[in-house]
Amino acid sequence: MVVVGSGISGSIIANELSRAGKTVLILEAGPGTDSSLVEYEAFLTRFYDAAVKDNQSPYAPNPNAAMPRSSDAVRIWPGQPDSSTYLVRNGPLATDSTYTRVLGGTTLHWEGKTPRMMPDDFRTRSAYGVGLDWPLTYTELSPHYAQAERELGVSGDVETQTFGGITFEPGYVYPMRGLPLSYLDTVVAKGIDGTAVELAGERYELRVRPFPQARNGIPNPDYDDGRGFVPVGAVSTNQVEEGGRCQGNNNCVPLCPVQAKYNARKTLAKALQTGCVDILVQTVASKVILDPVTGRVSGIEVKAYEDPVSPRHTTWTMRGHVFVLAANAIENARLMLASGLGSSSGLMGRNLMDHAYLLSWGLLPEVAGTFRGTNCTGGISDLRTGAFRRQQAAFAVDIHNDGWAWAVGSPYSDLIQMVDQENLFGARLRNALQSRISSQLQLAFIIEVPPSESNRVTVDPAYTDQLGNMRPVISYTLPDYTMRGASYARQLARRVFQCLDAADHTSYDPEDSQYVTYEGQGYVIRGGNHLAGTHIMGTSPATSVVDDRQRSWDHKNLYLVGGGSMPTIGTSNITLTLAALCFRSARHIIQQLRADASLTLPPDAPSDAA
Amino acid sequence: MTTRLERFLAFSADATAFTRFELQGTGQAREYLDTVVRIAGDTIVDRLLDLHLHAKAVAAASGNSAIMEHLLRRDVLSDPRLGPVARNIVKMWFVGIWYELPREWTEAFGAREGDVTFVVSGTAYAEGLLWRAIGANPPGAKAPGYGSWALPPHIPALAAH
Amino acid sequence: MSTASTRITTVERLREYLYLAMQLEHATIPPYLTALYSLKPGTNSDAYHVIRVVAVEEMLHLTLDANMLNAIGGSPDLTAPSFVPDYPAFLPDGETDFQVSRQRFSREAMQNILEIERPKQTPSEQHRLVRRSAPKAQQLAVVPGEPSMQYYSIGEFYAEIGRGFRYLHKEMGDALFRGDPARQVGKEYFYSGGGELTTVTDLDSAEVAIRLISEQGEGYGGRIYDEHRELAHYYRFEQLLLGRYYLDGDQPGQPTGPALSVDWDAVYPIKQDARLADYPAGSELRDAAVAFNRAYADFLGLLTKAFTGQPELLIEAVTGMFRLRDLMIQLIRNPIPGLDGVNAAPTFEMAAAAVVSS
Repeated sequence: MVVVGSGISGSIIANELSRAGKTVLILEAGPGTDSSLVEYEAFLTRFYDAAVKDNQSPYAPNPNAAMPRSSDAVRIWPGQPDSSTYLVRNGPLATDSTYTRVLGGTTLHWEGKTPRMMPDDFRTRSAYGVGLDWPLTYTELSPHYAQAERELGVSGDVETQTFGGITFEPGYVYPMRGLPLSYLDTVVAKGIDGTAVELAGERYELRVRPFPQARNGIPNPDYDDGRGFVPVGAVSTNQVEEGGRCQGNNNCVPLCPVQAKYNARKTLAKALQTGCVDILVQTVASKVILDPVTGRVSGIEVKAYEDPVSPRHTTWTMRGHVFVLAANAIENARLMLASGLGSSSGLMGRNLMDHAYLLSWGLLPEVAGTFRGTNCTGGISDLRTGAFRRQQAAFAVDIHNDGWAWAVGSPYSDLIQMVDQENLFGARLRNALQSRISSQLQLAFIIEVPPSESNRVTVDPAYTDQLGNMRPVISYTLPDYTMRGASYARQLARRVFQCLDAADHTSYDPEDSQYVTYEGQGYVIRGGNHLAGTHIMGTSPATSVVDDRQRSWDHKNLYLVGGGSMPTIGTSNITLTLAALCFRSARHIIQQLRADASLTLPPDAPSDAA
Repeated sequence: MTTRLERFLAFSADATAFTRFELQGTGQAREYLDTVVRIAGDTIVDRLLDLHLHAKAVAAASGNSAIMEHLLRRDVLSDPRLGPVARNIVKMWFVGIWYELPREWTEAFGAREGDVTFVVSGTAYAEGLLWRAIGANPPGAKAPGYGSWALPPHIPALAAH
Repeated sequence: MSTASTRITTVERLREYLYLAMQLEHATIPPYLTALYSLKPGTNSDAYHVIRVVAVEEMLHLTLDANMLNAIGGSPDLTAPSFVPDYPAFLPDGETDFQVSRQRFSREAMQNILEIERPKQTPSEQHRLVRRSAPKAQQLAVVPGEPSMQYYSIGEFYAEIGRGFRYLHKEMGDALFRGDPARQVGKEYFYSGGGELTTVTDLDSAEVAIRLISEQGEGYGGRIYDEHRELAHYYRFEQLLLGRYYLDGDQPGQPTGPALSVDWDAVYPIKQDARLADYPAGSELRDAAVAFNRAYADFLGLLTKAFTGQPELLIEAVTGMFRLRDLMIQLIRNPIPGLDGVNAAPTFEMAAAAVVSS
């Protein structure tokens, strides 16, 4: 079996398949060594040394497997796509979403929030007349959510996560107990818990609720019918033994320094122990090759490079029985389209989704201990579903433990302002830092974006990278449905700040690359790096790219897995759901291989050079 | 005659309201002094530190500590040549970054080699005093331990000056 | 050589041994932390990880000892006047051929630590004790009942504890385990990558705890890896002197894993076994060193509470260790006024802390 991508999807599939005795070859476009802490610490050093600490700052630029960077996004003018960086942005909205191309993929820099999707999110078309229905229900996916929660090592409490229709198997507990809310969360809770909100004729009561997280906490002795759970620490061959309980580094994004946060290397390490898995790094999949007679995939053409800076490479073809594309939603679609495989549905690359993030930031009247804890421990989840979804997008709200960092670059921006503009010095400077940083509150509204065929990934021979691979071209805008949610989110933020006696400091800069106007009001909408929907699953080859097992309708031995298969994303960070989908697909692939073995197929040929 | 490092620490203690012990406790004093000398040059650094010592001496002689800040603002912080360098020292202590000097400074006094915005070193980042000032840790370094975030922050009291 | 008077034949004697065991495990922590935080940041990653992991596991052993002591109705008190040794000190199990010092990371410090973690060597239960070579000053604790004897290694000391448990259990049955189970600290409150905290409620769990401590410390039966494929402390430290990592299956003294690099010079030049008296009275440095000792005393107080009925406080105690780390590092980076090129270090003088606190 050949798996493209060593991120969470590829790692889970490879691990499950290798445990079933299958031989797996993983192709990773980026660099990586699998088992030492040296490389991981080099990421950390690179992060320390970076003057701008964005979510790609630990990872070296690599022109052979380029990574989008949030600072790449520039204002797009109609008819003038921006091709100055890896992602060609066709507009009208410039997305600043990113993904990381190193061994382990974007889980190196992900934040680690792991909410399940809500049952309604799987049927938004039938329930609310919006978006698409999944070919799966929450109930069908539920056992795989439990598998994913085990693999990722989720800390959470069932009592706080049973709401909005979410249910758990009787007696289920998360592997580890929920991480404590931050002091900042409790300050917010004191001010807003019990606030009543009327929306579309329904009444909601707001409260601060913790988020489940893929981060080591205190193992729950009741897990697994009382067998408990053993947390997985840092990946290393040399007796490092760190990465136990989260230490509160407040650096989930872009890199947990101790690996208390899950990253896909933990799953890869297990897969490698089976002895059935090989990984080729610095090997970029460049073309999916079909058998012209059967329409099945016969091989993957790859370009392997030694030096990330040099375009020198060798081209090989990897052969196998089953092929799994487990890059992210953009790279999966890019590879298929670059191979001329647009899907008989015509939907390859279409329905690109990401969460729309609207930030609001204010200053609390008291020191709230901001800038401590994991990046986010709690938020407001009461408006994640309801009858209002007929008219406007649902959202969850993150209370950011890292202050106004995302919105305006705090605390650096504050320091510069105080020293250079306000001429503060000595004790008065210290007092100002304390009172104006430690009381920052930033709310991030994570707003639903329904699927829309015009939001899409395409390729164009005019835009290639230095290996000659076509780059992704992104066309993206936010539907009014989402903007109505954003507009309401802004009103709710004002209300929350009022409840908290907090001064609202929010302002949206019309010069910002992601400035949008809706009904006369301006907003800056950030991307969430929750890339989904470019090869959506469905019940028919005419209306979807893959079936409910993430198998290509067109090519029976090809699976396109990950966020790209999701027909909707609701208000949940996508990783847990796509991990659950991969467990489901892995089981199916194993069954399929057993069924195939009973037919007459040639014996397992090792992946070889063409 | 006190060493330049001693004078640098004396200025830095007044500029940041952290004690000499706390400043030395970062292990960064020598590296910061070397950085500012390398970029701004001996003459400017010595002038700045001398004026600070002078302001301190005048304040001590008069028994009025408020005079120190007044003289420092008049002679150093408002000085077109010394002010931006002094502010850069303050920012370096707080976040470990040397910030590129303002354009007006470079136009008036000449561009200096190495004068770009940069993190002085990985250790400098981890030793930024801003985080200590707000009772937090620099993200990704000096972890405070599981669950510590649920309690109110430990914000150190300001030393009496 | 074991004599009747050194054998554990009463519950009281077993409690004495277990309390000594706690003193013993704790006595390694100040030297390990001092060496650890003397490393200059951004250097010596291999050494940092080796020492850090062992320090964490010494905390685990301390907690296991507390569980054993609680299991038989004892009461751990880490705030007792002599609990923290006055360094340089002999180990509390009576080993007198070397002293333990608080010193910067160096080859000598690693040799010192190897002596602490040296493998059990005597062939049988009869030879756990050897006659003390030279009675010296500053003896903190001696073999209960036989001051002229010493245990050759920590392993031998624990072997006697194990024998004591078996003997008393044979005599008394389960009545030996009369302690309040609510005082047991469960694994949910402590875990590291290697070794699991076990609660102690019967003979089996006591033996599991003893085996874990012995094997984690010094290996067992000549093997360098324990049954959990974990490298024993002795060999972990030895890697730093040999410049190479061990792999499972290696022979002692002959590691075949990847090379590791140690920069013996990238270390702060701290004063060995520094004392408050080394710091000028009234200096910021002296105040900070006093404040550290007070914080360390508070930490031991919190551990005592965690070990006497409030196990959930162990999490807060660990957070306290992170704060202690920051205070230690500050001290270690400060030059001692008047001493050319010698830096300070935390002094761990608990008596002084008590005076200041009162």
